Amino acid sequence: MIVFADVNELALGVFAVVLAVTLAITFWASRRATNTDNFYAAGRGITGFQNGLAISGDYLSAASFLGIAGLIYLYGFDGFLYSIGFLVAFLTVMFLLAERMRNAGKFTIADVLSFRLRERPARVAAAIGTLNVAAFYLIAQMVGAGVLIQALVGFDFTISVIITGTFMLTYVVFGGMIATTWVQIIKAVLLMIGIVVMSVFVLERVGGNPIELFNRAEAAGQGAESTFSLAPGTFLKNDIDLISLGLALVLGTAGLPHILMRFFTVPTAQAARSSVVTAMFIIGGFYLLTTVIGFGARAILGQGGVEAAGTGGNLAAPNLAEELGGGAGTTGGDLFLAIIAGIAFATILAVVAGLVLSASSAVAHDIYSSLIRKGQDSDREEVVVAKIAALVIGVIAMAIAIIGGEGLNVSFMVGLAFAIAASANFPALLLALTWRRFNTVGAVTGVLLGVGSALLLIIISPIVWGGAPGAPNTGAFDWYDLNNPGIISIPLGFLGCIVGTLLSSERGNEREFHELYVRSETGLGAEKAITH
Amino acid sequence: MAQDGVDDRADRAERVDWEGIEASPEFKELVRKKRGFIIPGTVFFLTWYMLFIFLCAFAQDFMGERVYEGLTVGYTLALTQFLMVLVLGLLYLSRSKNVFDPLAEKAIADYSDAGDGSGPRRRQATGAVAPTTTPEGAR
Repeated sequence: MIVFADVNELALGVFAVVLAVTLAITFWASRRATNTDNFYAAGRGITGFQNGLAISGDYLSAASFLGIAGLIYLYGFDGFLYSIGFLVAFLTVMFLLAERMRNAGKFTIADVLSFRLRERPARVAAAIGTLNVAAFYLIAQMVGAGVLIQALVGFDFTISVIITGTFMLTYVVFGGMIATTWVQIIKAVLLMIGIVVMSVFVLERVGGNPIELFNRAEAAGQGAESTFSLAPGTFLKNDIDLISLGLALVLGTAGLPHILMRFFTVPTAQAARSSVVTAMFIIGGFYLLTTVIGFGARAILGQGGVEAAGTGGNLAAPNLAEELGGGAGTTGGDLFLAIIAGIAFATILAVVAGLVLSASSAVAHDIYSSLIRKGQDSDREEVVVAKIAALVIGVIAMAIAIIGGEGLNVSFMVGLAFAIAASANFPALLLALTWRRFNTVGAVTGVLLGVGSALLLIIISPIVWGGAPGAPNTGAFDWYDLNNPGIISIPLGFLGCIVGTLLSSERGNEREFHELYVRSETGLGAEKAITH
Repeated sequence: MAQDGVDDRADRAERVDWEGIEASPEFKELVRKKRGFIIPGTVFFLTWYMLFIFLCAFAQDFMGERVYEGLTVGYTLALTQFLMVLVLGLLYLSRSKNVFDPLAEKAIADYSDAGDGSGPRRRQATGAVAPTTTPEGAR
């Protein structure tokens, strides 16, 4: 199995190839990343198919690849629940937001809100939502990156985080959205090839019969020590918490700033639509195969592989790759492990780059350009500020990841990012696009109540107070034992929007609602692709 | 860029009769047809998904029952979620191409884009001419 102490040269070599290719792309993109259209939105010249790949690359994090495979390996069915939630969420995005966002917005979520609401409060509220989601998600990914590189290559945790952060910032600062998009596309292709090849190897071992894979996984999951089950309830033991998580997953994707931002990179709403469908196919195929990897790990590695799989089973997939290639110490085993490790590394880089870009756009476009400079800054100035913002945000995230250390639970923090996105961003965006009466007070109340309640509930949750997920109540209060706040904070986000709107005497700007409504449904007046 | 955006918007707001478009029969039909698909579609997928989640939370024995050897009820229902995403996604795609897009083009047929990034302008023509915008691949 994986040796922790010394550096794995083969894995290092694969990492170097990934970095060389992505840096070449960044160099190529850097000449164009000098105005806001290119820096935030790749000139809106990405095709629907390319964007579908990039969305998949932006969305399928290391938590998806290694985390879900690990959870299925350890717990069976419950790990697969995440896959379902992450996938079905794309119906929410497609039906309710994707095309409307493309038609109504320019660079950020705040553009859509401030279209018809009072600009300053609307932008501040949207920026708060964006930054909170990006912060949780980014820190989670950085910690995940540190743990993985440490395990797979052999570098120290701190060094691993710094390497990841440095490359992430290089892509974003020098290459903007153009480099980020192509890093995401390459990563999506690599990830799909990797998981398909692994699945073929696994299925070949069970005679090509998926049912046989289920049988063998179950047989290998027997025994007193095993937590594996084909039925739910072994990992997510708290019923209400499970429902809360399910709700946060299905609505949260529609509030993730780095995903929504991708819809501004295509030329038309039609391209936005086809990119969601492309992403659905890729992401659906991917999540379907997470079962094969997880069950394969259970059937092939068995209960004996649990310790080597590490916390949350994150290393189950790389260990399985090593075993499929011929086992530890063999050339095939080492090579397969190194390739899967390289793909995991590319996966992390693509996701963190997208996150930093979305956070820096909120700071530069919404706070600096629109609020501080009141639109008087030049285009070039905004790009410079965005790059500085990306650097500052990136360094802060690296620092928190290093200080928080390996103890931070990655999949838990991703679940929280989804809960905040679903509670703060999603209600305000949906209502701004569809509810005539909606006003600024409603938007601000909704976002603040969504973010505030989610954060407060996280602070008093058992996991912060030392309880493991599913453990008996060890939170701040006897009466509260939820780890995911979604079931309370999402309704509060909507309630805040509605009550705030109704209590305020403010009348929304009718004329601007007409414009937003017609524009979002028909695309008339939407931002155009720049001509190259 | 923000500065350009503001000018652009004020300029466009002058030129386009948004309220008129909104009141037009074509736009009303577009919204009605879109709602007729999206609202039932959303209700359906959220219901089917949340039903699955509720069964996972409260009917764990049922979800663990066998359909065939190691294949459980839970996994079978999980596979229906994948199928649902696939079918609804393709259905929405074809509905958009065949119904929503043509209606949206009709609703804004009086306005065409000059193509210089300055936003839409009112057409001089009689309005009987079909719009020339190509949906995708405008590059």
